[in-house]
Amino acid sequence: MKELSLHILDMIQNSLEADATRVEIRVEERDDVFRFSVKDNGCGMSEEFLKKVRDPFTTTRTTRKIGLGIPLLEAAAVQCNGKLEISSSVGIGTELTASFQNSHIDRAPLGDIAQTMVTVISGHPQVAFLYTYCWGEKTFVFSTEKVRTILQDVPLNTPEVLRWIGEYLKQGMEEEK
Amino acid sequence: MKVKQLAQTLNFELLTREDYQDCDVTGGYCGDLLSWVMGNASAGNVWITMMSNVNIVAVASLTEVACILLSEDTLPQQEVIDKANEQGIVIFRSSKTSYQLAAEVFQAIGK
Repeated sequence: MKELSLHILDMIQNSLEADATRVEIRVEERDDVFRFSVKDNGCGMSEEFLKKVRDPFTTTRTTRKIGLGIPLLEAAAVQCNGKLEISSSVGIGTELTASFQNSHIDRAPLGDIAQTMVTVISGHPQVAFLYTYCWGEKTFVFSTEKVRTILQDVPLNTPEVLRWIGEYLKQGMEEEK
Repeated sequence: MKVKQLAQTLNFELLTREDYQDCDVTGGYCGDLLSWVMGNASAGNVWITMMSNVNIVAVASLTEVACILLSEDTLPQQEVIDKANEQGIVIFRSSKTSYQLAAEVFQAIGK
């Protein structure tokens, strides 16, 4: 994909399709490694499915027999001297970590991750999202559950709330930079 | 123009099985960013690329391109060729660059 945030969006969508109620997204730039992980409490994958999940001709989709989300992410990571790690347990959840050589010439830019988060929160306001961005020694954390506590009965997908979340994420990460 | 006729005219090397379904070529598409090709290549296109991992077979299958044309002597691993045969995807190869191949295909099919 042109931007890594699109891969992250794809992986979050996998989590949501696995009925996750909590998704933790972590983006990390440290030394010469760019790493992101998506961890959920969804239905998880059996050992058998986990073995073939990197194969593009494996998918849970019933409309067609090809799933390229994980294969394309793995190819992108490997191309940048990185790798894709996946661990999963049925009934517990899945954690997926992609790493890239940060300075690799083919590493796609992160892209608009704030917009990615707004998109998933807007579509799934009931899900708990935890977003962490680490840069060197610094860390920026955003939790929908903190916002939910403050807002009480106001849904997270209220347009004003989404706008605020987008701005907050953008500013928070810019300050880190 | 049919794929077979185009391949013979332009001297492409066939990497997959001989007895492929010969379909009409509707045009061409160049691209190495598979996620982008997935959304933009059209059915019946000659897809010119230098990517050679197994994901190209999946993308070709999804987009229903007429064939994959590998440029600059790209040689995929045997497992990729096996997968293509299994899925009925046709793969050709040439020593020319994607730029040259695109120009030649364009001239040969007139679109």
